[in-house]
Amino acid sequence: MRHCTERGVKSALSILGVLASVAGWLLFAADGDGLRTGSRAAIGSFAGFPELRSYKPLPELAGEMCQWLPASASAAGFGFLRERALTSRPASAPQAEERATGEWDRSPVRVIRDSYATYSAVAVDLDSGEVYLQDENLFGFKVFNRLDNTPPTAAFTEPKRIVAGINTKMEFNCGLYVDPASGDVYSVANDSVDTLVVFPRDARGNVAPKRELSTPHGTFGIAVDEARQELYLTVQHSNSVVAYRKMAAGDEKPLRTLQGPSTQLEDPHGIALDTKNGWLFVSNHGHARREPISDWDSDATTSLDRQAIARTGGYFEPPSITVYPWGAKGNTAPLGIIEGPRTQLNWPAAMAVDSERGELFVSNDVGDSILVFRTSDSGNVAPRRFIRGPKTGISNPTGVFADTKNQELWVANMGNHSATVFPLLAHGDVAPLRTIRSAPLGKKALGIGNPGAVAYDSKRNEILVPN
Amino acid sequence: MAHPQVAAFARLAKENEKPTRQLAGQKTLLARTMHDIRYDAIHDEILVGNPFAQAILVFRGGANGEEPPIRVIQGPQTQLRSPDRVEVDPVNNEILVANRDAVLVFPREAHGDVKPLRIIRGPDTGFRSARAVAVDAINNVIVVNVSGSRTAALEVFHRTDEGNAKPRRVISGPKTGLSELEQMQVYPPRGWILVAQTSDSSFQEPTDTFVGVWSIRDHGDVPPRWKMGGEKSTLKKPRGIALNAKNKEVIVADMRLNAILTFYFPELF
Repeated sequence: MRHCTERGVKSALSILGVLASVAGWLLFAADGDGLRTGSRAAIGSFAGFPELRSYKPLPELAGEMCQWLPASASAAGFGFLRERALTSRPASAPQAEERATGEWDRSPVRVIRDSYATYSAVAVDLDSGEVYLQDENLFGFKVFNRLDNTPPTAAFTEPKRIVAGINTKMEFNCGLYVDPASGDVYSVANDSVDTLVVFPRDARGNVAPKRELSTPHGTFGIAVDEARQELYLTVQHSNSVVAYRKMAAGDEKPLRTLQGPSTQLEDPHGIALDTKNGWLFVSNHGHARREPISDWDSDATTSLDRQAIARTGGYFEPPSITVYPWGAKGNTAPLGIIEGPRTQLNWPAAMAVDSERGELFVSNDVGDSILVFRTSDSGNVAPRRFIRGPKTGISNPTGVFADTKNQELWVANMGNHSATVFPLLAHGDVAPLRTIRSAPLGKKALGIGNPGAVAYDSKRNEILVPN
Repeated sequence: MAHPQVAAFARLAKENEKPTRQLAGQKTLLARTMHDIRYDAIHDEILVGNPFAQAILVFRGGANGEEPPIRVIQGPQTQLRSPDRVEVDPVNNEILVANRDAVLVFPREAHGDVKPLRIIRGPDTGFRSARAVAVDAINNVIVVNVSGSRTAALEVFHRTDEGNAKPRRVISGPKTGLSELEQMQVYPPRGWILVAQTSDSSFQEPTDTFVGVWSIRDHGDVPPRWKMGGEKSTLKKPRGIALNAKNKEVIVADMRLNAILTFYFPELF
């Protein structure tokens, strides 16, 4: 490649040299003062068309820039490079000649985007008889009547109200709580905005929250202890649970933080309270490390830090539900852990508690199920009940709400644009009592959520999208 | 994200067309916050990071469902701390990881708690926060995108540089428009660097977002060769970028649109 480039530069210089000779002869050797005067005047003025004014050679990179293959490179590797070279334009022109800059605004030829709402969380306002569904795909939440039921032939059910738009500060939210007394709606930010937002019951449209609380990055689940007026959030990025005053706002700091290796918090997601026994349940995906990334975004790592890291490192644990006493803080070990193959846990997400019956409901994302445990369970225990199967309509459930007043269990299904409601004691492959759907029946959700990267699989002609 | 996954879509998929396969579940060891993904066409493998468990995961190219990775790089000897973005060099058989103040280089077939082959780290590197790395095996360079608060740079190193190496070229300054940089790709046959810029990802719809194209030969405070963005493009918060050289396409993941957009960009190839 360097050989080609040098040859190109030499050719260009030769042509320039000939042009310069001709121009010099015209200016200084040709007859007539007028010509010389006019031509001199023209030097430095605009010609009215593109012209070469000057050139400046680019500095060479130190080191070899030609195609280079080490002895260790495989034959397949060489073939790959050769194929790419053949399918591309040869890089023979000097780069300086290609250094045009410009805006490049044109329409995409294709767009992959789920145009329907995808529900990550659910909460019911038992006072108003309304159900709130958090839309993680189009952002915001939608409000329906609790008794709405989308007929199989209908494309979707129209929501009563929608709260969405840039003023709402909702983007990739995945937790909801409705204050049973005031009807205020709390929505948890899982990414980017790092703000818990609170709206009044009658909020509608692209409205600003009535209250905001700056939170750590990566909050997921929410639970509120109304008796103690405290609010709890799980934080994925720091493997912690933070407790705030329920009415906290602005930059108010947490009352306490539960965090540290003894807690066994490992990529915590859902959180639920058993107010009768004073227990706090947290679901974990099991992604662990021996030191919290509390300085996630700090700029530099000191050599001391690096020595510490050298003794630590990440590791994988099975998914779990860890149980703590109310008020737990610091590096407190759990009272109990539900963990092991009999539990059937598979990316457990939001949870809900029926304190009277002593039952814990777990939305079991990739298990496409709701698992029901006793709140007193610990160890490698099988769920006492489950809701799972083709009749249920459950698909990638990440939100659950136990309506003990109406004896119903609500499920938010990320996988199929719906929320389904079951009897609180439902078990097995049972059809839902009602379904609120926001897309045609059977329409599978794409599942794209905050796509931070993309790759192209040239073997299968596929686009790979991680969340 | 409530539901982590890696989804595969047909190249010609549009709108609500469902994925051809989805990789998700406990056995996959995937977590949210996958800020990079690479496909190794020579060995037919997919690479992603798991920053929560400080690991690099390697899957079969055709992995589907709840399929475990075929290799995992993880453990104290790896020095992985925030393996946010990863790159694979299938020609030289190496995996490169942007790891905060360092770039770690592992053997491509590394598995378990292995030491890096090389580390680029030190005050001369200019790594305030190394956010992404891309390797150009033809021109034998690596490019590291370095971001701080409202300052950013693209640094070009020789592929085998290590230790407290000084970048051979640095693209940085007000004319570049660089601020908060995201996923990056190189196109070795023509020496292009492509980088997505969200500008400030804490805003829902930040200004000054674009996909910029520079050359590995650029140096200093120079504007991009091409600046992709604008009203027609509909791009709002481009975060991911991939190239399909065969069809002369640039594929962009947009965080605010929650969408994947494909652009025809023959000038680039």
